Amino acid sequence: MKTVAVALALTLAACGIPRDPEGTFERVDGGVMRVGVTDAHPWVDLGAEEPDGIEVRLVEQLAEELDAEIEWVEGSEQELFGALTGRDLDLVIGGLTAETPWSAEAAVTHPYLTTATLVAVPEDMDLPEDIAGLEVGVEANTEIAGQLRKTDAQVVEVDDIESYDGPVAIDNFLTDDLDVTDTGVRLSESDHVFGLPMGENQWMTTVERFLLERPGEIKELLDELGTP
Amino acid sequence: MRTTRSFELPPDKAEANRRAVRLEWITVGYLITAIFFLYITLGSSQAMKAAWMEDLLSLVPPISFLVASRVRHRPPNERFPFGFHRAVSVGYLVASVALFAMGLYILYDSLSKLAAFEHAPIGLIQPWGEPIWLGWFMIPALVYSAIPAVILGRIKLPLARELHDKVLFADAMMNKADWLTAVAAIVGVIGIGLGLWWLDSLAAILISVDITHDGVKNLRTATSDLMDARPTLIDNSALDPLPERLRTEISSETWVKDVAVRVREEGHVFFADIQVVPTTTENLTPRLAGLTQKLMDLDWRLHDVMIMPVDEILAEVDPRAKRRTE
Repeated sequence: MKTVAVALALTLAACGIPRDPEGTFERVDGGVMRVGVTDAHPWVDLGAEEPDGIEVRLVEQLAEELDAEIEWVEGSEQELFGALTGRDLDLVIGGLTAETPWSAEAAVTHPYLTTATLVAVPEDMDLPEDIAGLEVGVEANTEIAGQLRKTDAQVVEVDDIESYDGPVAIDNFLTDDLDVTDTGVRLSESDHVFGLPMGENQWMTTVERFLLERPGEIKELLDELGTP
Repeated sequence: MRTTRSFELPPDKAEANRRAVRLEWITVGYLITAIFFLYITLGSSQAMKAAWMEDLLSLVPPISFLVASRVRHRPPNERFPFGFHRAVSVGYLVASVALFAMGLYILYDSLSKLAAFEHAPIGLIQPWGEPIWLGWFMIPALVYSAIPAVILGRIKLPLARELHDKVLFADAMMNKADWLTAVAAIVGVIGIGLGLWWLDSLAAILISVDITHDGVKNLRTATSDLMDARPTLIDNSALDPLPERLRTEISSETWVKDVAVRVREEGHVFFADIQVVPTTTENLTPRLAGLTQKLMDLDWRLHDVMIMPVDEILAEVDPRAKRRTE
């Protein structure tokens, strides 16, 4: 049953189903891919001359597979999703999660990676039984600070999390960089996605398939580029 | 003179009713699984959403039937001197309002999506690690939501006629027509697959028009039931012949000069309110008692018969009386 379903789906996929109503895939394949980027470390870094970051590298690899040229378009999320709704962009990246408020204007891919925010303690410290009353450092004015305030930990807002010594609330991929150990306390989970124009289903499934086929490479990229 | 039966259904009908109750339980159980499968494959397809909502709504008639079937047998009490037969009509009204409102909502939703040129995005899912287009799962889910429903509808239809139960009838008709919804939604999903985005909204509009139509039809019947309209056949195709039979039966009595018959439906039983102008008052009470018994034997649905001797039939009681005197 399972193999029949898989075989059937692959055969039909080979016939080009689903197809794009507006032909995005046909145009991008061997052509130009217009990608909207907004600064969101470590997913998209716009500091240097050329964009870099985990999602930027993934898009570059996708473009290579499709033999497409990339046209980077920088802007705010508002600008990028405005352009995406009007089909003036083919892809938007910038640390988007499945909870993005833009999901009414644009399509989002199947999540390609799930990260979490957690409470960790320095490697030389004993794991606490409970974070109640524990002094936990967190970068000031961030989403994690808000999540931490909802717990019964004692919130210590700092400007630079790297120089703070003691228990911290951070993204899960930062534990190695900061030499801290996960306490097992999760503050939130994020499913990471790319933004796409609505209903271009051949294009969407192409991007999704590309992302879903390389969990190993994505993890390596996260280890390499996932820094504070 | 008044007679009321202590039971609602004669033994053979009670057996049919038990079967109907069992079928409605099966329907509820099956619908829950169909709703679940449609929900997990819902995606962003408008047609899928419409089909899902329709299945969700199809739960209302069987549930109101099951609730009513528990309540309506309760004997009359001080607070409800006429008993609880109308529980069926109340359930029926609720079901039709829900249908009608939901139909309009989906119609509006689909029209605005079509007008906004909204293209439904449907991506991949990974049920066994292999990424597969979600659209391929929608089609079997839709087929599952249709075939057993059609079979259940076909089994329930004759039972509804036998029991003269309008909720059961509405339910059976909805189930029977369910394949239309499924086919429309499948066409919508295939449309998305072929890049024909508008087919999806169009299918959803078609489904919503069908739901709204069902709603209006049932709302009309439910309201006229509660307004004590003349009893009709269960499919509303014609007037029920029972009131006319009662009139003929009573008129054939030699001691009856004139007669007015009013019959109303309370759920699936009838209450008759009869006035007779006797030629003589001699032996009046035994005659009335005999006549009442005779009428009660005519039809099992006749639940409560009241015969009142009067000097003259007023036009307010029988609109025909007025025509006769003119």
